[in-house]
Amino acid sequence: MTFGELLERFEREIFAYVLRLSGNRVDADDLYQDTFLAAFRSWPPPRAGNERAWLYRIATNKAIDRGRRSRRIVPLADLRLAAPERDGVTLMDLKTAVRALPTGQRAAFVLRKVEGHSYAEVADVLGCSEEAARSRVAEAMKKLKEAVR
Amino acid sequence: MTIEPLVSEARERLIARAKREGLVSVGYDVMDSLLGPLWIAVGPRGVLAIHYGAKPDPRDLARISRTYGPAVLPDRRSCDRVLTELDQYFAHRRRSFDLDVDLTPLTPFQRRVLAATALVPYGELTTYRQVARRAGNEQASRAAGGAIGSNPIPIVIPCHRVVASDGSLGGYAGGLPAKRRLLALERGEGQVPEGGWPPAHLGR
Repeated sequence: MTFGELLERFEREIFAYVLRLSGNRVDADDLYQDTFLAAFRSWPPPRAGNERAWLYRIATNKAIDRGRRSRRIVPLADLRLAAPERDGVTLMDLKTAVRALPTGQRAAFVLRKVEGHSYAEVADVLGCSEEAARSRVAEAMKKLKEAVR
Repeated sequence: MTIEPLVSEARERLIARAKREGLVSVGYDVMDSLLGPLWIAVGPRGVLAIHYGAKPDPRDLARISRTYGPAVLPDRRSCDRVLTELDQYFAHRRRSFDLDVDLTPLTPFQRRVLAATALVPYGELTTYRQVARRAGNEQASRAAGGAIGSNPIPIVIPCHRVVASDGSLGGYAGGLPAKRRLLALERGEGQVPEGGWPPAHLGR
């Protein structure tokens, strides 16, 4: 596999993911670049056939690092691209609530509830046990439900 | 709204950064041409591949990454000059290419055959046997045919100008309609007989 094949196969998916995670296109652009540059620098992927999980893991770690470095609240103006709009919950409510989640919980929530990954995949990406992944998603859901109630 | 424009902007910045960091050895791009999409790859020593189609030929990719590693990325800038010269060629504004070609991973015989093919002038024809002779082994016209058939840089190395000794068109990686189209472009419409040429037309 070449860098180009990896990029062409996964760039849209990874961009959508970091856009959902960061909630704004400027940070998403940076995260997309940081993710692929890190992948190219640490080539080859650890396991052939598992490049997708590897990229998600890098992207999530980059988002968490970025969250640690800057605790500023970012506008989730672009969440429209990602968030399913549901009856009775306005988009603004949901944006604000997702924005308030710690990055680890936000990643778990986006991976499981927005992107539909299995708990095993979420655990793989976040580098935690499946149980911990479930509890992060549950915690995120609890906070979101409280917030939009 | 789709994310496509955001991704393509982000990709452009990514490639620029990767180049600054020395993470790009080979750049590729896809060109829309008279003959449909062409996948083009350019490395540090010149053009590596022109492939009929919007996706690379896995054999080209394998050959390229064997020599240059995995740092093969989409990059229009690396391919600019090739795209310009091909555009000029298709618009009748260019008869030969001022491009370096990189045939490093090929065998010496394959390279000699392709070098001989590259010398066939615009609009003219030659045969597999004549190319084999110029490559130093007239008896090897079948092997020469093989080397020409797997020419990684068609159009720039004009293998479409090589036809069978009996005057028929022979084969072509881009398909016979593409070969016919290129010959018609160079020789004029109506100058490519349906069944090829009489053998006497081709000289010895």
